[in-house]
Amino acid sequence: MASTEGILRAGVRAAPRRGLPPWLLIAPTLLLLAVFFLVPYVNMVRMSLLVKPAVGAYEPEFTLANYARALLDPFHWRVMYRTFWLAGLTTALTLLIAYPVAYHLSYAPRRRRRWLLMLLISPLLVSLVVRGFAWMILLGRVGLVNLAVQRLTGHELVLIGTPTAIVIGLVHVYVPFMALAIAGALQNIPPDLIQAARSLGASPWAAFRRVVWPLSLPGVQAGTLLVFVLAVSSYVIPILLGASNVLVMPMLIVQTLLDAFNWPLGSALSMVFFGLTAAVVALYLRLLARGMPWTRA
Amino acid sequence: MDARITGRGTWLAIVVTGVYIFLIGPMAIVVLAALNAGDYLAFPPQGLSLRWFIRAAQTEPFVRSFLFSLKLAAWVTVASTLLGTAAALYVVRHSARFRNVLRLAILAPLQLPAILTGIALLIFFLATGIGTRGMRALFIGHTLVSLPYVFLTVSAVLAGFDRSLEEAARSLGAGPFTTFRRITLPLIQGGVISGALFAFITSFDQFPISLLLVSVGNSTLPIQLFDYLRFSFDPAAAAVSTVSVLMSVVIVLIVDRLVGLQAVSWGAQ
Repeated sequence: MASTEGILRAGVRAAPRRGLPPWLLIAPTLLLLAVFFLVPYVNMVRMSLLVKPAVGAYEPEFTLANYARALLDPFHWRVMYRTFWLAGLTTALTLLIAYPVAYHLSYAPRRRRRWLLMLLISPLLVSLVVRGFAWMILLGRVGLVNLAVQRLTGHELVLIGTPTAIVIGLVHVYVPFMALAIAGALQNIPPDLIQAARSLGASPWAAFRRVVWPLSLPGVQAGTLLVFVLAVSSYVIPILLGASNVLVMPMLIVQTLLDAFNWPLGSALSMVFFGLTAAVVALYLRLLARGMPWTRA
Repeated sequence: MDARITGRGTWLAIVVTGVYIFLIGPMAIVVLAALNAGDYLAFPPQGLSLRWFIRAAQTEPFVRSFLFSLKLAAWVTVASTLLGTAAALYVVRHSARFRNVLRLAILAPLQLPAILTGIALLIFFLATGIGTRGMRALFIGHTLVSLPYVFLTVSAVLAGFDRSLEEAARSLGAGPFTTFRRITLPLIQGGVISGALFAFITSFDQFPISLLLVSVGNSTLPIQLFDYLRFSFDPAAAAVSTVSVLMSVVIVLIVDRLVGLQAVSWGAQ
């Protein structure tokens, strides 16, 4: 019915444009982002360069003293190192756990895939505080883990308040993110490719290592980046499962701002933290690009 | 796909089952703990009862913050659904050169750490004198991080949209608003409703931004629960948590019905 379609299209073109200009659709969103997202961030950069007087929040006078204080205190570096180390470990463990899940999901029959997706997405929608609380119940003194270990070995194993508990909690929170990112990449691999590799004599393992794994790397890259950035800036899980024993950067920044009421230093710490995260991410992307030259094309 | 081709075996099934237990188990524990009849959070539970739900419903701060969170999430849902749907319509249909820039800008609040956004907003609100009293500051902060979800789900359904239907309506004399109401909206409503549900739960469960923007007397449920957990540890907290777990299950079931979870998980990327 090409002619009918042609007539319809001609009719539309001939119809006078009565509607409002389309940019009105995006204007409110852009206004919101400009005023309440861009400006506050720019303001935070400015704040990090202002003087903190003995009394009051800040003085409109520029200085680099906040950055000097943020960068020169070895205590800050210890917290920074701990934060990045915990986030890196979380990312690696999450990848290890989520990859099989993503693989299994991608090749599951349609009906089963629906149920698996539900199992994967529902924890994502549960409040972070609740997920932290769940692990407090499990890992605490009267928790299941301690009870089981005590019965088996006679020793006590209270993980709450240790970095281990934080990593367990973070991995639990980020596995769905990682699995969905990797499954997205696995979906795009044509099944014919795997079939071809197998019919040419590749073992299942060889087909995986030489075909599936390299082609899933963009998903691995997206997933690891997302999880690392989220884990580095996580606040709830470290504070609940670390029981305030283990200090990470987001906690330090919030303390500086709310408890010490030092906005300029808190802003400078945020900037340093943000810059370092960006640097780690850039370095990681660089290394990864060298590892998979085929994605450059 | 054929198991022989992909070479997946029983070991994979065992590993994957273990991971799903790891993911779902803690949520089940929370629900079980809430149904515990005993006085403490302990295992095994000493019989089943609803007493901790009743206790939670009688705890004034929980009830007040629950109602406040509901009200806040409702307003955030309305705002982010309207703005996000309009933004998706513009980006998918009318933007050519700036499409990627606009997408990046709209999704930026999800890319930057929410705790930093919360700090930036707090300093901004206090420095400009807008302040954080009442619901205004929270409403703005939550809308920033909820709107991207509506944008993503609506963009996903718009991408597979057959525009000749709208053209037919227009050529038969329908105005742009009638066309939108009678043709476009019914066709994209699955994406709009899914986005709205995600926006609702994002606001209802939001923690880092709320932490910085709550004011005295205006606490949200996650913040109230967080404060409670720092000083007490009893099954009443589990009863409150169960609400969050149940909400998540209901929303997942509805979204799956409407557009399929696949559309929101990687169709949107």
